[in-house]
Amino acid sequence: MRLHFQSIIARIAALYIVTVAAACIAMPLALYYLLKSAVDELHRSGLAEQATEISRFLHFTEGKWELRLPSELADAFAEAYGRYSYAVIDRDGRVLFSSLSSQAPLTERDPLRGDAFYFYRKRDAKDIAGASVPFTIDGNRIWIQTAEDLAHRDVQIDDVVAEFFPRVGWITAPFLVVLLLIEIAIVRSGLRPILAASHLAARIGPMATDIRLPESGIPHEILPLVHAVNAALDRLEQGFRAQREFTANAAHELRTPLAILRTNVDLLSDDITVKALRQDIDTMSRLVDQLLNAAETDALVIGPTETADLRAVCTEIVAYMAPLAVKLGKSLAIAEDSAHVLIRGNADFLGRAVRNLVENALSHTKPGTTVEVRVTADPAILVLDEGPGVPMAEREVIFQRFWRRDQRRRGNFGLGLSIVSRIADAHRGWVSVDNRPTGGAVFSIQFDPSVVIAMSETSPGDVQPSGQSPQSAGKLAGAPHVTAGYQT
Amino acid sequence: MPILLVEDNERLAKLLKQGLEKASFRIDIVDTATDAIDALAAVKYDVVILDLGLPDEDGLTVLRTMRQRGDTSPVLIMTARGSVQERVAGLDTGADDYLVKPVALEELVARINALLRRPGTLMGTALRLGNVTLDTTARQVFVDERPQILSSREIMILENLLRRSGRVVPKNFLENGLYGFGDEVSSNAIEVYVHRLRKRLADLGANIEIHTVRGVGYMIGEGKAAQ
Repeated sequence: MRLHFQSIIARIAALYIVTVAAACIAMPLALYYLLKSAVDELHRSGLAEQATEISRFLHFTEGKWELRLPSELADAFAEAYGRYSYAVIDRDGRVLFSSLSSQAPLTERDPLRGDAFYFYRKRDAKDIAGASVPFTIDGNRIWIQTAEDLAHRDVQIDDVVAEFFPRVGWITAPFLVVLLLIEIAIVRSGLRPILAASHLAARIGPMATDIRLPESGIPHEILPLVHAVNAALDRLEQGFRAQREFTANAAHELRTPLAILRTNVDLLSDDITVKALRQDIDTMSRLVDQLLNAAETDALVIGPTETADLRAVCTEIVAYMAPLAVKLGKSLAIAEDSAHVLIRGNADFLGRAVRNLVENALSHTKPGTTVEVRVTADPAILVLDEGPGVPMAEREVIFQRFWRRDQRRRGNFGLGLSIVSRIADAHRGWVSVDNRPTGGAVFSIQFDPSVVIAMSETSPGDVQPSGQSPQSAGKLAGAPHVTAGYQT
Repeated sequence: MPILLVEDNERLAKLLKQGLEKASFRIDIVDTATDAIDALAAVKYDVVILDLGLPDEDGLTVLRTMRQRGDTSPVLIMTARGSVQERVAGLDTGADDYLVKPVALEELVARINALLRRPGTLMGTALRLGNVTLDTTARQVFVDERPQILSSREIMILENLLRRSGRVVPKNFLENGLYGFGDEVSSNAIEVYVHRLRKRLADLGANIEIHTVRGVGYMIGEGKAAQ
């Protein structure tokens, strides 16, 4: 099994913990081993020294070995004391002297081997460590064995070894944990510029393409990534700028000659030819508007702080479109039981969508009919007309770009409803059309409930000024010219 | 009534001047932002028609400079730039109207007249539509030049509608006008007054019509001559 860590810190910490665990075990063991072998070495040289000490009191005189230990040394080797023992063995393997009453050699190994050696054995259920050292005294070869009962071993030195684990050995664990924490802190502070850069990068969008990630403070290892991201952003911004510039340039290049043409024609005296020319210019202007609108709508992105009051949006559009409706002999209205819904969205583009739906309705209905705009709490914007309705087969295709039922109809380029669809899309909504039971079509822009910020439904017939949303009231009452913002 | 036309396209400027002079306006033309700012410092214009795409600086700079100087002359932006952001920017900077080229001369003249009719621009103007005239100073209504008697509330409503003729006046805007009379405004008060005014105008033979835009407000326009 392979563990995947999303964070660098987690990854480093995991590796570190494994390393620390291994170190926690290996380090005390190694230290213990080293300490123990050092202590053993100390003991061995102690035993060898004791043998040398004994050898100084051993003499060969007149074919006979003699051992005269001073009393304090004899006491140390006394059997009653039980800690140290010795044996002196001649070349024939006989035990000449021994501190033990049994007069046995201290080890069963052949004592007459040439070299000195050390041994461990059990004797009367005691652990014995000993040394066998050869000496040449007065020209005769002799072996002195010394041994120590390990149960009585040098208490101080043994304590050091025995206590090492519980006392010293475990210090390594907290020590390494502290190191781990310091390590994490170091890595975190090292990663902080990257975190800051990430926060900055999160703010980059089509509305804010000028942000670049800072390159100072970024670790060398990650700098290439930051470089690459910034370069990509440069190219992206260029693309956006090119698109904006294209739209602006196209608008200027297309509209200025149309304006000259239009003014020129307007200065001519009215006759049938001039009227036809005017209509052609209007058609042309409308196409330019629609194309630029479509281009602009394609680039639409809803900013995080943008809000739109759906009823206010619809009220404004109805107010703006009403003169045209009156001119065409039709009525335009807002359903008075419309809901007040505040959503996350762009009020200007939503207004454009509603306008396109209203224009569409006005162009497909007969004089004397009413087009009604209604906001429901779903939330949705409905545009209801009293026209012929939309045949089932066309209900999907009418929202496609450049689709037209009647190719010959003047001023219809099949862009209006596709723009509505695109704007709905940008607001996490969708547009659809249905026929009313009473006849006529109902176009609806349905929004996902998640875009709703606030809502208050008004009862039918509530026309108090307070019932109007303050935004709509303010915009319409205080500054009627604001509706000019929707004019094209 | 001098109008300043800030437009860098020489041909368009000349044609517009010709057209507007036909509608008896006096027109001065400048073709750069710098010249516009200088001209506005020297002369008081009744309306400024401002193009945004000027060779030296953005037209909005002219508007901003005017508003900073405290110059409240109405400004009508007439530009090729029609995006939503550009309109919003124009109106937010303090433009009174925003038109996207091409603009019919008739429409331009109507917009200029609308700006001149504004309260605060010219007090005591006579508002005229069809055969109806309202003297806003004397608070007197004439139909076919004959003085008529209307109630002060009816005149208030008629004045508000005439000031924005051809555009929708929100209902609550008219309601605020009724509050000015110290009236208790019931939910259908405006409907009652508009209904009464409509009938009164018809009785007097006025050829103007008050349209209801349900859910929004009312709009006055020229209608068929009443019998």
